[in-house]
Amino acid sequence: MNKEAIKELLYKMGDDALIIGHRNSEWTGIGPLLEEDLAFASMAQDKVGHAQALYQISHEVLGDKDPDTIAFQRTEKEFKCCQLVELPIGEYDFSLVRHFLFDHAELIRYEMLTASSFKPLAQLAKKVKGEIKYHVMHADSFLKQLAKGTEESHARMQAALNFAMPFAYGIFEKSEYEDVLIKEGIFGGEEMLREKWLEKISAVVTAAGLTMPQVADSKIVYGGRKGYHSKFLEPLLDEMTEVTRTDPGAEW
Amino acid sequence: MYGNTHLTEEEAKRLNVTDEDPEKLAAFEAKIDRGEKIEPGEWMPKEYRKQLLRMIEQHAHSEIVGALPEGTWITRAPNFRRKLALIAKVQDEVGHGQMLYSAAETLGKTREEMLNDLMNGKSKYSNVFNYPANTWADIAVIGFLVDAAAIVNQTINSKGSYGPYCRALERICYEEAFHLKQGHDNFVYLATGTPHQRAMLQEAMNRWYRPLIHFFGPPDRNSKHSEKLMKWKVKLASNDAMRNQFLDMYVSKIQEVGITLPDPNLHKNADGIWEFSDPDWDEFKRVSGGDGPCNKERLEVRRYAEMAHRWVREALMNPSDKYKIPLA
Amino acid sequence: MSLDPRVNRIDLSKIGNEEQHTNSHLITWEVFHQEKKGKQVIHVGIVHASNPEMALVLAKEQFARRGATTNIWVAKTSDVYSFSYEDEDIFETTPSKEFREAGYYKVRDRIEAYQAKNHTV
Repeated sequence: MNKEAIKELLYKMGDDALIIGHRNSEWTGIGPLLEEDLAFASMAQDKVGHAQALYQISHEVLGDKDPDTIAFQRTEKEFKCCQLVELPIGEYDFSLVRHFLFDHAELIRYEMLTASSFKPLAQLAKKVKGEIKYHVMHADSFLKQLAKGTEESHARMQAALNFAMPFAYGIFEKSEYEDVLIKEGIFGGEEMLREKWLEKISAVVTAAGLTMPQVADSKIVYGGRKGYHSKFLEPLLDEMTEVTRTDPGAEW
Repeated sequence: MYGNTHLTEEEAKRLNVTDEDPEKLAAFEAKIDRGEKIEPGEWMPKEYRKQLLRMIEQHAHSEIVGALPEGTWITRAPNFRRKLALIAKVQDEVGHGQMLYSAAETLGKTREEMLNDLMNGKSKYSNVFNYPANTWADIAVIGFLVDAAAIVNQTINSKGSYGPYCRALERICYEEAFHLKQGHDNFVYLATGTPHQRAMLQEAMNRWYRPLIHFFGPPDRNSKHSEKLMKWKVKLASNDAMRNQFLDMYVSKIQEVGITLPDPNLHKNADGIWEFSDPDWDEFKRVSGGDGPCNKERLEVRRYAEMAHRWVREALMNPSDKYKIPLA
Repeated sequence: MSLDPRVNRIDLSKIGNEEQHTNSHLITWEVFHQEKKGKQVIHVGIVHASNPEMALVLAKEQFARRGATTNIWVAKTSDVYSFSYEDEDIFETTPSKEFREAGYYKVRDRIEAYQAKNHTV
C-alpha cells in the first residue's frame, strides 16, 4: 500500500479532529446551559482522542514519530486540517452549526472507512463510529430545536449556516493522493463522501425549516489540505504549544 | 471542589427555631439522631431548609466558578494525556455543579434563581477560585491540592442529613478521586522534572499555600457555626478540624518530592495539631468580600455565559411546560 | 487582559449593564440509568431540557461519561408520581411480616426430632 497516501489521510483526519476538539474544549465552563457544557466537553475529548489514535497508527504502522510529537511539534504549514475547524468558536450558533456540518461528514467518513483495505484504520473506524453517531445525534437535536425556536434563534441558525457552508465544502478538498486511496481501496474518496453528506445534511436542514445555502464553486474555502490555512491556525498552534515550548525536551 | 461554609456572627444570631411546631421539630431531630436521612418533601424546620440551601447553592456556584481558573490552561495543556485529563477534569466540575444545583432545587429554589444570585453577588462561592492560575504549574497545584482539600470537606459532608446532597456528594467524591490522582501525577512530573519545571512548581506552591490554608474557612474561634447546624448534620466538622486533617494527609506528600511550603512555622505539635503562621485572615475577608485578584473576571465570565446565551434558552423553552421541583 | 486566552476572545460587552438576571427555566427530567442488560434501571438524577430527545442526549454526558451503560431512560419530573413521605407509615409493618420471608420457615428441628424418634437415621 502507498504509505505516503495513508499518512496524508491519517494526518488530515487527525488534524481535523485535533483542531476541532481543541476549539470545542474552549466551551467548557462557559456554554449556554450546564448540560450543554458537558456535552461539548465530552465531544471535544472524543475528537482529541481520535486525533491521538490516528497519529498512533501513523507511529506504529508507518514508523512515524509519536502522537505528542506529531501534534505538538509540527509547523502550521505541515498541518492538513480544513479551514472550517480552525475558526474561533465565535458564538454558540456558529460552534453548533460547525459541529453539525463537520460531524455529519465525520460519521459518513468513518462509516466508509470501516470497509478500508488498510486494516488499522478500518478497526479504528469500527471502534469510534458510535461516538460520532452520538455527536450527530446531539447536533441534529439542537439544530432542529434552535431552528424552530424563536425568530432570533432561527435567524442565527440560518446566518451561521450561510457563513459556515463555504468552509464546510472545504472539508472535501482532495489531496494529491486521492486517486491512489480510491484505487487501493483505502478510502472511497472525497467526492463520494461529499455527495452522501450533502444528501444527509440537506434533509436535516430542510426538515428544520432552514434553507440550504447555495455555494458557488469559486466561494469554497480550499487550501487547508495542502497546508494553506486561515489566519487563525498559527495563533491556535502557538497557544496549544505554549507550555511545551518553554522547556523543550521536558516530560510533562 | 469546594471550600467550607461558615456563618457570620449576624447569621448565627438569626438562626432560630422558636416559631417551629415543637412536636414536629422533636420528631425531625429524632430522625437525624437515629441517623436517618431527610428527603425532599419531608417536613423540615425553615432554618434547616434555608441553611442547607445556602450551603448547597454555594457549593454549586463553587463548582462552576471553579471551572474557570483551571479552564485558563485548557487550550495549553502540553500533551495528549494532560489535554484529555484537563478537559475531563474541568468538565467534571461543571457536572458537579449540575448535580448540586439539582440537589438544591429540591429545596425549592430554581437553578436560574441561584444563578441570578451568583451574578448579582447575593450568594457566594469558594474564595479559593478568586486566585489566578498564572502558569501550567498552578494547574498541578490546584488539581492536586485544592481538590484534595475539597475531598476532605466533601467526604465529611457526604455523611450529612439531607438525602439529595449526600447522593450528589457520593458521586462527586467518586469522581474527585480521579481529579486528585491526575493532579498528583502532574505535580510529581513537574517536581521530578527539569530545573525549570521544578522552579515553576515551587513558585506555584508558594502562591497557593495561603489560599489553601484559607480554604476551610476562618479558625473556629471566629466562626459562628451554631451547635444547631451540627446537631442537624448540616455541618459535620469544624473548619480547624478539617484543615488539620488536610495538612495531616498532604504536607508529607508535598515534601516527599522536595517541594517546600513557604511557612517556617508550619509544624505538627505534640498534640498532633498543625500550627502555622497567621495566614492573614483579613485578606480572606477582603477577597471573599469581592476584592480579590480575580473576583471581577470570574463573575464577568459567568455573566457572559448566562447573558450571551439567553437566546438559546429562550428558543428551547416551551411556553406550555410547567416547572415542577425535581423529586430527588 | 485575562490570563485565560479564551476569555480574551470573548466579547464581554455582551453582558450589558442592566441588573443581570438569566431567563426562566427549562423543565427537569428524571434520569434513569441501566448499567448493562439484565440489570435494574436506576434513578441517578435530573437534567434540564426542553424535550425527550434533548433530555436523553444531555443525560448521556452527565450520567454515562464513565463506566458501562447500556441504556438511559428519561421522564418529565411532572410525569413521575410518588407517595408523600408523610404517608411513610403505610410501609411501617412490612419488615415485620416475616411470613413473607424465606428465613421464617425453619423445620430442621422438627425433622431431626422426627428422625431421632423414629430411628430413621
